[in-house]
Amino acid sequence: MNTQYKKGVLELCVLSLLKKHDCYGYEISEYLSKHIDIADGTVYPILRKLKSEGLLTTYMQEESGGPPRKYYSITRLGRETYEKERAEYLDFAKRVEILLEVDDNDKE
Amino acid sequence: MTKNEFLSKLADELKKKNIADADDIISEYEQHFAFKMADGYSEEEIAVKLGNPALIASQFESSDVDKKSSGKKITTVIGLCFIDFFAGIFFILLIAWEAIMASFSVCSAAIAVCLFSGTSPLSLIPSMPYWPRIVFGVSFASLFVLSAEGCIYFAAFIRQLMRSYCRFHHNTLAAASGSALLPSIAINPQFQAKFNRRIRSVALISLALFAASFVLGMAISVILSGALEFWHAWGWFGYNAVK
Repeated sequence: MNTQYKKGVLELCVLSLLKKHDCYGYEISEYLSKHIDIADGTVYPILRKLKSEGLLTTYMQEESGGPPRKYYSITRLGRETYEKERAEYLDFAKRVEILLEVDDNDKE
Repeated sequence: MTKNEFLSKLADELKKKNIADADDIISEYEQHFAFKMADGYSEEEIAVKLGNPALIASQFESSDVDKKSSGKKITTVIGLCFIDFFAGIFFILLIAWEAIMASFSVCSAAIAVCLFSGTSPLSLIPSMPYWPRIVFGVSFASLFVLSAEGCIYFAAFIRQLMRSYCRFHHNTLAAASGSALLPSIAINPQFQAKFNRRIRSVALISLALFAASFVLGMAISVILSGALEFWHAWGWFGYNAVK
């Protein structure tokens, strides 16, 4: 699958997870690789990009018996962007599905 | 690849690509190793699942594109100026060729009209009997159709080529300044399949008609004049007519 194209969708998935609760990087990577077939390493660049765009912020939190963890939290801009892009994506996916099904019917 | 190998390779790649906060990124991957190892995976397994360090580093690169583009932009602009200059000459040549084709087409039409009507402005059309005149008229009329279609197609081609070039120009500048690229445009004209089929059949028919009527006109002329070089017999091109 085209990685460039997948990346945009993954950004949306990350935002949807963080909308529910703050997570640390590893948690996000595990969550995504459980559902979608990606190399684990690709999640961190996405997190960094989202942070540089101001959609996420980070903070460190001490954990009992371990080094402090870096948590990611969604910003207000992140929430707004997520709602907008989610609607756009779902609409787009619906249209693509219609097109591909039309293609299917033509073959028969 | 072990954990240390992976991390040092990643650090090298990040440094090579001039990516800011490399330490921060490395510590994130270090934590990833720590968590995964706590879950019972081996260092090798984790490294494989993470992917190629060079590829990961290049993914970080795309998130801060705008940092290093400023120096590149001047070179791109200078390069584009050169390309524009040559492309400009090329387009002028193409347009000149279009003009030649168009005048050829107009001339064919004029000759066909003269032949059908039997007029000869400035005595440019040599005299000939009725039938060869009509058959040659048909041949020039089909030549007109063929060349006119060629003109139209070629004009569409030039237009599309220019649009495609402008898009290339725009995208090259956009890439240099790090802004979004527009999809590139195909070089050849994008007609609908139906239109393509139609122009193809018109071209074939007019070509066949031109060839057939031209040969037929020659044959009729030879028969009517009784000489293989009928243009001598009819006194064309400054020869004295043989009576």
